[in-house]
Amino acid sequence: MSTTTPEVEFDDVSKFYGEVLGVNRVTLRIPPGITSLVGPNGSGKTTLMNLMAGLIHADRGALSVRGFSPREPEQLMRVLGYATQYDAAPRGTTGMDFVTTGLMLAGFPAGEARERAVKALERVRMQEAASRKVASYSKGMRQRIRLAQAIAHDPEVLVLDEPLNGLDPLVRAETIALFREFAAMGRHVILSSHVLQEVDILSDQVILIANGMIIAEGQIRSVREEIHEHPSQYLVRCRDASRVASLLFELDHITQVQIQDDRHGLLVMTRNRREFSRALTRVSLAGHLVESVVPADENMGALYEYLIGGDR
Amino acid sequence: MTNAIRMRQVWTIARLQLTRVFFSKRSFWVYLLALFPSVIFLGHGVEVKWKRERWGAQKTESGILQSIRRGDTDGEVLQKAGMPITDFRSGAFRRRREIGGENEEREIERRYMMFFDGTNRWDLRFENGILQSKRSRPLNDFDEDRQIFAGVFQYFYLRLAIFFGCLGIFMNLFRGEMMDKTLHFWFLIPARREVLLAGKYLAGLIASVLIFGTGAALSFALMLWPQDPAQLSAFWQVEGAVHLFWYAAAAGLACAGYGSVFLASGLLLRNPILPAVVILLWESINGILPTLLQKLSVLYYVQALCPTPPPVNANAPLLVRLLSAPAEPPAAVVSVLGVMAVTAVVLWISSKAVRRLEINYGVE
Repeated sequence: MSTTTPEVEFDDVSKFYGEVLGVNRVTLRIPPGITSLVGPNGSGKTTLMNLMAGLIHADRGALSVRGFSPREPEQLMRVLGYATQYDAAPRGTTGMDFVTTGLMLAGFPAGEARERAVKALERVRMQEAASRKVASYSKGMRQRIRLAQAIAHDPEVLVLDEPLNGLDPLVRAETIALFREFAAMGRHVILSSHVLQEVDILSDQVILIANGMIIAEGQIRSVREEIHEHPSQYLVRCRDASRVASLLFELDHITQVQIQDDRHGLLVMTRNRREFSRALTRVSLAGHLVESVVPADENMGALYEYLIGGDR
Repeated sequence: MTNAIRMRQVWTIARLQLTRVFFSKRSFWVYLLALFPSVIFLGHGVEVKWKRERWGAQKTESGILQSIRRGDTDGEVLQKAGMPITDFRSGAFRRRREIGGENEEREIERRYMMFFDGTNRWDLRFENGILQSKRSRPLNDFDEDRQIFAGVFQYFYLRLAIFFGCLGIFMNLFRGEMMDKTLHFWFLIPARREVLLAGKYLAGLIASVLIFGTGAALSFALMLWPQDPAQLSAFWQVEGAVHLFWYAAAAGLACAGYGSVFLASGLLLRNPILPAVVILLWESINGILPTLLQKLSVLYYVQALCPTPPPVNANAPLLVRLLSAPAEPPAAVVSVLGVMAVTAVVLWISSKAVRRLEINYGVE
């Protein structure tokens, strides 16, 4: 499959629904890997995904998905699989028929379509329910059948709207593993999620969006480093927490130090990560055993709170 | 992607869509529309057959019935012709007449008899036992039935059944799926939007032609069913196949034309009521429009293909006569090409609209 640009690019893209803003002047370059779109309801996550899939068209700006325009579904949909939040299976269709139909419409001969459908259903652990009607599926099963349809033609770009909703923990873990497998092959997995812990675990990069505007993008750590208004938080495990706390508190860039209840841990807030790192080295050299240092706010929960705040 | 693959995609889309069209709950009333005239013709056929069989068992020689004259008494008639099929007496009443400046009042008792000679029914009316009038008419008139079929086909099938049937079938191809929130399924396949449009239109066309073609053919067959075998044989030898062909062609072209119009309406507008009313009005007044505007109509072309003109009731109100009057018919070849041209233009407009169409379930 020839792809000129292995990126998903938005260049000054705006979309309005009449008077209502969808997204405004979005400029993005999404590299391969797992990218999570995070933002409150109505922030524009689904709009971005629908724009990528060509279900809606930008009012201004340009976008391309691995070099293909969303206005050319004949090419785009060979490299893109999209699991929307809506069911599309006709009444009376079985899971197997639903996936096979999609493949036949993509131009696969009936035999190959069936083989691919079986594989896709196995990957989402739906092979046993494949002969049942989609209408009888639970929410989680519907989620998985949509995912099976999205991956069945082996796309380069997988776009998933809330793909982990309704999945039980085991299937959730398997689905995340499937996304990682896709990403490891140099493909795009672009998903939206409300569950920030999951975003932390699975994302190579995140895009925070609010009110149709991109608030931040990149790896979680990089995004956190760009937020200067909020001091960075670290959890420091050490033997003599009180002594280490007094040493650190003397430094200008340290804004707060809290000793934990077990007296072997500190929550330190600093305005200068580099200086904090040097300070910890000096503390160690002075003979205080520092067992571990872990960032306490390099996660989606913190980023969300700092950058967006309010309801998720 | 080659054109051969695109054609295969069109057929795959059409095949899948056909299942939805045929088995959709929304299609139920389309079947009713298509089959309604068949029920009427079936009823008529059963009645004619039943009467022919029942009355035939008690038939009277035609010569005897012809020999009965006005002024014969009911007793004489019964003696000549035997037992009538029906014999009905009305209650006695008084009638006042002015004869020579004097009022005369008479008590009158009426009696009606009906005989059957195997082909015609004979209705005899007596007053006070004297035959006043005798009238014979065929039990079933083939020419009249063909005219009735022509009327049903042009006034009901073309103007209403196919019109509203195509509205239901073709509007749902896109707008119905938008309301069901399933249209994105089609938009996410690696196919040009024009290919999707062609596949869906083909499905609608196949379904509507099959449904209404079968309905019209069934009505035609049921109209022929009770006819005299000799008349039928003569009809098939001379013009039967040609009539059937042109009725089928008119139904098929009407489906193609109205289908394209309603497909476009479904893409361009959210509410199907508005375009339906406007188009119905436009088609209804076609006969009284200026010549140039008449040509922008599906009915103008397909009506011209019908082999038998529909009956026109001279006693109907002027407005009804105006609205039901067909426009000056163009030649058959012009009609066929005209519908195809209208269809092609509308489909071209639809192809532009479908490329711009967006999935926005929130506003549906």
